[in-house]
Amino acid sequence: MKQILFLGLFFISFTANSHNPEKLVISEIERGQLNFENETIAAEYSAALKRQRIRRLSAMSWSKKIYIFIKAGFEHIIPQGLDHILFVLGLFFSTLKLRSLILQVTAFTFAHSITLALAALGFVKLQLSVVEPLIFLSIVWVAFENTFFKKTTKWRPLVVFTFGLLHGLGFATLLTQYGLPKDNFISLLLAFNVGVEFGQFAVLLVAFILIRLIYLKTEYKNQLKIPASILIGCTGLFWFIESLI
Amino acid sequence: MKKLILISGLILMVSCQEKSKLDPNINPFFQDWTTPYEVPPFMDIKNEDYMPAFKKGMEENLAEIETIIKNTDDPTFANTIEELERTGKLLSKVQRVFSNLASSNTNPKLQELQRELSPMLSAHYDKIVLNEDLFNRVEEIWNNRESANLSKEQQKLLKDTRKQFVRSGALLNDSQKKQITEINSKISELSTEFGQNLLAETNGFELILNKSDLDGLSDAVISAASEAASQKMDQAESEDEKEKYKDKYVFTPHRTSMYPFLTESTRRDLREKLYNSYVMRGDNANETDNNDIAAQMAKLRAERANIMGYKTHADFILEENMLKTPDEVYDLLIQLWKPALKRAKAEVADMQAVADSEGKDFKIAAWDWWHYSEKVRKDKYDLDEAAIRPYLSLDNVIQGVFNTTNKLWGLNFKEIFDIDSYHPDARIWEVTDKDGSHLAIFIGDYFTRSNKRGGAWMSSFKGQSNLDGRERPIVVNVCNFPAPVGDNPSLLSFENAVTLFHEFGHAMHGILTDVTYGSMAGTSGPRDFIELPSQLLEHWVSEPEVLKSFATHYETGETIPDELIEKLLKAGKFNQGFINTEYLAASLLDMDWHTLSLQDAKNISNNFENNSMNKIGLIDEIAPRYRSTYFAHIFSGGYSSGYYSYVHAAVLDSDAFEAFKEAGDVFDPELSASLRKNIYEKGSTEEAMDLYVNFRGRKPIIEPLLKVRGLDGSSD
Repeated sequence: MKQILFLGLFFISFTANSHNPEKLVISEIERGQLNFENETIAAEYSAALKRQRIRRLSAMSWSKKIYIFIKAGFEHIIPQGLDHILFVLGLFFSTLKLRSLILQVTAFTFAHSITLALAALGFVKLQLSVVEPLIFLSIVWVAFENTFFKKTTKWRPLVVFTFGLLHGLGFATLLTQYGLPKDNFISLLLAFNVGVEFGQFAVLLVAFILIRLIYLKTEYKNQLKIPASILIGCTGLFWFIESLI
Repeated sequence: MKKLILISGLILMVSCQEKSKLDPNINPFFQDWTTPYEVPPFMDIKNEDYMPAFKKGMEENLAEIETIIKNTDDPTFANTIEELERTGKLLSKVQRVFSNLASSNTNPKLQELQRELSPMLSAHYDKIVLNEDLFNRVEEIWNNRESANLSKEQQKLLKDTRKQFVRSGALLNDSQKKQITEINSKISELSTEFGQNLLAETNGFELILNKSDLDGLSDAVISAASEAASQKMDQAESEDEKEKYKDKYVFTPHRTSMYPFLTESTRRDLREKLYNSYVMRGDNANETDNNDIAAQMAKLRAERANIMGYKTHADFILEENMLKTPDEVYDLLIQLWKPALKRAKAEVADMQAVADSEGKDFKIAAWDWWHYSEKVRKDKYDLDEAAIRPYLSLDNVIQGVFNTTNKLWGLNFKEIFDIDSYHPDARIWEVTDKDGSHLAIFIGDYFTRSNKRGGAWMSSFKGQSNLDGRERPIVVNVCNFPAPVGDNPSLLSFENAVTLFHEFGHAMHGILTDVTYGSMAGTSGPRDFIELPSQLLEHWVSEPEVLKSFATHYETGETIPDELIEKLLKAGKFNQGFINTEYLAASLLDMDWHTLSLQDAKNISNNFENNSMNKIGLIDEIAPRYRSTYFAHIFSGGYSSGYYSYVHAAVLDSDAFEAFKEAGDVFDPELSASLRKNIYEKGSTEEAMDLYVNFRGRKPIIEPLLKVRGLDGSSD
């Protein structure tokens, strides 16, 4: 009974009994104004979410954190990174020679690792709205080369390297928005990168096995090269246009 | 889009929340909460769930009351008072969630609901407290209390429960009841009007300055004033009005605008103008004048007190407090008044010396106080706030308060991540006792945000009770500390850190509480007592030993230097003569208004306030903290005859902390245990003064407070 009465009062002068005096002796009843700016609230909310994630991560064991970031890196390729998948497939269809493929993939990996690290450490900063269309263009370019150039140029690894730098920035903008706990910064960055490599490798492996299953012989991959590249190029172009609108 | 997918992917992995297992088709308030520790399933509660839950809660509540009344057995403590404790569970469940979130994480819908619910709820509680059949049962138990063999706690509950009815007019005859209702509604109208007038008066004055009038002002203050002017321009409806503010600087009698101006401006004429606009609010003999409203309210309150059987309004109010009579309150205030006034006079002399040395040819006046006290501060108490912040990252201070309660009572805190809170910044900890048993859930919601009210407070989502098994509370602290910028930690001012300890003191009162009946748990005690547990905890944050244990630099890891601590503590004694004098003057003014007999209240002179202040010898250089015409605490808030409570609690906390000082150990185990047992655990199960005496071994004395505030002559 007294409780409900108390609650009644409590409701009306909700903090009257436990407010904080302004200084030691003084209190204001006038509490601050409320203003509902939805944009502000949303921005505050996502900043708070990031803080919460970092606190959660900090409270986890090291191995759990590493596992989570490897998994995140992997999932950033499969299933979420269709753009990266297409790019890697573009590389896959570009050549019959294993050596050339390995060279290109290595150049790509090397490049995106560099920018991922640089951007995550705060040395490079680029807006996602700039990076994303460029990534889509890189897909278009690779597909274009596959379709219209008879042989891959000797500049190809360099071109791929440059594109890799872009893709790395893409990984990084997302990762920094997500937030990396300060105390395990480097190891978690590496873990994320390792996850990305696993994802990339898995794409290539699956593509390779599928081709073997369908055509029994790797050589026939060439027959697929142009139609597949056109498809990849068109998708990239569509995304590019979409990202500009 | 993709960005969102990645983030949501990671969130899922990191959060791995337990699902609440509630049926989504049924109102969450109508289901048992199977969340750990019955934390409200915040994510399942929608705006639309509140109103039906409130309605059903009230219905159930009334049905429960009906069952108690219909009981054909003779009324007993068990079948009436104890049963009353069990009523209203659903209502309390929804009300606690609602009233918390409507302040800390609100939205337009909740605001609208709040307006809608407020009259519904007060009507609901009126139905119970004015229920004659129910009161008759209570009264019968009360009359037979001697033979009922009740425990001390039960006796107190019976007394408190009965008092609720009596104070609502249960013993009055019908015509008296009618009179009371009329008086209440008049008072309520007048108090709303008082508040509206005050708002109009505060907004009604502005000091519009040219660039040439800004002498002495800092860039920050100038840009705020110019911002204020451009806001006025945006709001202006006519071109003429726009022109008025163009390239101008605006100051207003709002304190956030006025204090910086009074402190910095070297234009004495303008300081006087702005200051006078502040102290004359509601006293301008215009249509928003509050003089008459204050007088009418004093008269109505005296009249109501008479009908209720009390000599004055103050007698009626104080009956519920720790200090029970106006005499006790006056006695305390007058004891403090003399040393405070003496110190204030010394401060005037200090300032006069500065003015004289500048070759100024005037006597320090009220509007000079901020400007010249700032010069004294820089000279004697200089402290660079910015130098302290790096040592006070929020996480450090939280750790500091956790460590403090760990050393005092062996409590441990573990942050939990598998329960959803109402906002990602509202962090959840489990509090365990020294033997590892579960004590409470503590929610700390520290950062300012736009859907949170200003200020800082403590509240709870669930109460404590041992009536039907051991039920432990869920307690929350809400503050408005600056949110971190980017990836840097939030760095607090020392004042923020004190606030955090203060609110945590309230939280401890709610967490350590261990009583049988929920209505007497935690912070349910009288207003002049419940600030003791909070203000007491503040003392630890100022202990060098404690500060050094947590205040480490957020970048270098260096511990806060002794020199800085010394400056910090010394700065706390700055301007105390002024602060205490203006506060005590307002407290005495409050008491004078509310100890009027009905006869005197009918003949209030125009000079009431002046006479009252002259009687105590208030100096011209200081006005009461609130003059009558803008004393919203007492004329449009709930503090009538209660403004003294702050200093009363301060007397208590200084005197209580002195016990630790005397013991030579701020964590003295025996004292800590006694403090917990006699104060923090007890809620309102005994008279507040008895609780205090049980801890301290005697009644409180004022000397420790005088020492803390430098009013003992040490600062002269």
